[in-house]
Amino acid sequence: MKKLLGLLVVLAVALAVMGCSQPAPKEWDIPFLNSLTGPIASIGAYLEWGADQAATEINAAGGISGKPVKIIPVDTGMDPQKGSTEMARLVKNTLVALGPVPEPVIMAAMPIAVEAGMPSITATTSLEYAQKFFPWTISWFPSTKDRLAPLVAAWAKQFPDMKKVVQFVENYGPWPGMADAHSAGLTDAGVQVLAPVEVPSNAVTFAPLVVKALSEKPDGIIFVCKPGSAAKLVKELKSRGWKKMDHLLLFSSADAPDLYTTGGNDLNGAEIYNYINPDINTPRWDTFKKAYMDSHNGEQPPSLSTNYYDAVYMIKDAIEKTGVTGSPSKLKAERKLIADYLQNVKGFHGIMFDWDMKDGIPTNKPAYIFKIENGQKVLVQEVR
Amino acid sequence: MPLELYYFLSITAVNILLSWAMYLPYRVAHLHFITVANMAISGYSAGWLVMTLHVPFGWALLVGFALGGGIGYLVSLFIGDAPTFAVVIVGFTFIFITRTVIENLNAVGGTMGMFGLPDIGGNPDAHRWIIMAILAGLLLLVGFLLHRFDHSRLGRAASAVFVDKDLAASLGVDIRRLGMLLQTVSCTIAGGTGVLYGFIYRSLHVDFFTFELVGIAMTIVFVGGYATPWGTVVLAPILYGVPLLLPPAVQEWRIVLYGAALVLVLVLKPEGFITRRFVVSLESFLSVSRKKRNSFTREET
Repeated sequence: MKKLLGLLVVLAVALAVMGCSQPAPKEWDIPFLNSLTGPIASIGAYLEWGADQAATEINAAGGISGKPVKIIPVDTGMDPQKGSTEMARLVKNTLVALGPVPEPVIMAAMPIAVEAGMPSITATTSLEYAQKFFPWTISWFPSTKDRLAPLVAAWAKQFPDMKKVVQFVENYGPWPGMADAHSAGLTDAGVQVLAPVEVPSNAVTFAPLVVKALSEKPDGIIFVCKPGSAAKLVKELKSRGWKKMDHLLLFSSADAPDLYTTGGNDLNGAEIYNYINPDINTPRWDTFKKAYMDSHNGEQPPSLSTNYYDAVYMIKDAIEKTGVTGSPSKLKAERKLIADYLQNVKGFHGIMFDWDMKDGIPTNKPAYIFKIENGQKVLVQEVR
Repeated sequence: MPLELYYFLSITAVNILLSWAMYLPYRVAHLHFITVANMAISGYSAGWLVMTLHVPFGWALLVGFALGGGIGYLVSLFIGDAPTFAVVIVGFTFIFITRTVIENLNAVGGTMGMFGLPDIGGNPDAHRWIIMAILAGLLLLVGFLLHRFDHSRLGRAASAVFVDKDLAASLGVDIRRLGMLLQTVSCTIAGGTGVLYGFIYRSLHVDFFTFELVGIAMTIVFVGGYATPWGTVVLAPILYGVPLLLPPAVQEWRIVLYGAALVLVLVLKPEGFITRRFVVSLESFLSVSRKKRNSFTREET
């Protein structure tokens, strides 16, 4: 009886020890809460492409800490209901995640990640959204005002004849805030800001909006609306005799494939700002551009296409530099290690340039103003 | 309670309540989409009361119900006996107006939304249990009221209005007052549901209350069965839960699957899966079984 009891005790201790030290997984699975169906499926597709491209490169170079990485697509369909349920499922045993995308799903799902203490990188939203969920996410952009006011001032200063500017603004998430930052930049450049023209999200005809904007007799126009709407507004402006194409500025979120397919050559000469520069030559960026253009009928990579590419590399750095093992028994502690590392990354080697993070906010990222020529972007200036 | 179970159950409960809020006025052939706008108005109002004026959640919830009912009543004064198409147009217009007002109201976060709604009960676990308890209580209460309504004189009057308004009027049914009553109750349910919806996410964004929500509720009501409230109870968890269990490659096609299901049901079974005849048969079957069991027990004793 005593022998049996002893055996049971030994067995129990062995099981307990085994339970405490579950083996680390053989692969790094990184779920990506993305919108692969629904209204922004085309954007979700190239965000996913960027993350997959990074994983392919990392695996070819030996993986993360010697183990392969796999991006697991989790489609939320831009539906907060699905986003929150999927996030609730992921936080059980996920080390770190990517997304969610976009803002309505971020607001529904990120509180769950925060409560569970799981880092998830929301690399497409503005600081004003991301900072509500610090330290369990980071912002990919500095504050909207700090980043956009100097950019728009630099654009305005190119044209001494530009005295009055009107903005087309669509009321979606951070966009009105971006329009406010544009106004601040215009004021700094000594340009009069005219009353904005609101673009309905489901606008079918754009002529009345253009007539309203032109009635204010602007010298320049800024577009803060969906890519397709921006393209249709530019076409409508041209059909009504607008000649000064470089006095048109499209904001970064309009830099998506449907802008160019809808706008075609009518966009020639208009300017656009964003955060990636096709003219920079680094080995990884060259590879990325070529691979993207090969798989997308020669289209240039859109503005946000590199965000999740860089995010995967940032996770790689976090895991390798903090010694994270991925062991389920250390999940809580290792999540914290990654979150803390991401908040204050120093000298991160991005695909185009290096940057630092300070308390979750990037400190020295450039932005670019381009001129559109035949569907391609030609650099006008870099603004830091 | 496991997190994923909580979100599954709570969001399913919200979908059932919203679908019931649409089912009720549809008993007199009113597709009352204003319910979604009422969810937003009450949700944001309660959020503002709790966040800005520090009103306790319970009071904010009651205000949400009252606001929903009040708006529903005011609107029903004009469309209580309107034709289906007019009610649909008013609903869509109301959603547009509500969205525009919210987007331009800085007090509730405008287009950015409202962040950080507090945990009821002081911590996340208590919050979840309280939300689940309220939702369960509300489901039982509304379900009971709907059941009673369907078996009452009012329910039979609503059925008559659904089939033929003139016939119903000739039988003495006050069509306008009945429509007003159903619209007001529907909006009251939607108002409270909107508050709970916001507090499930602990944030509010104008895109939580879109036409997609109308689509979800419509699919639940019409595929589940628009002639009884029980179709909603069966279909809401299936429609929301099954896609979560599907492999990712199939999940991407869920909207197509919803659409196909809706088309198939409308063609093959226009009354939906759970029909009134089915419910009546089930009720009589259960009643016969109960009688048999009772008589058997009596004989034994």
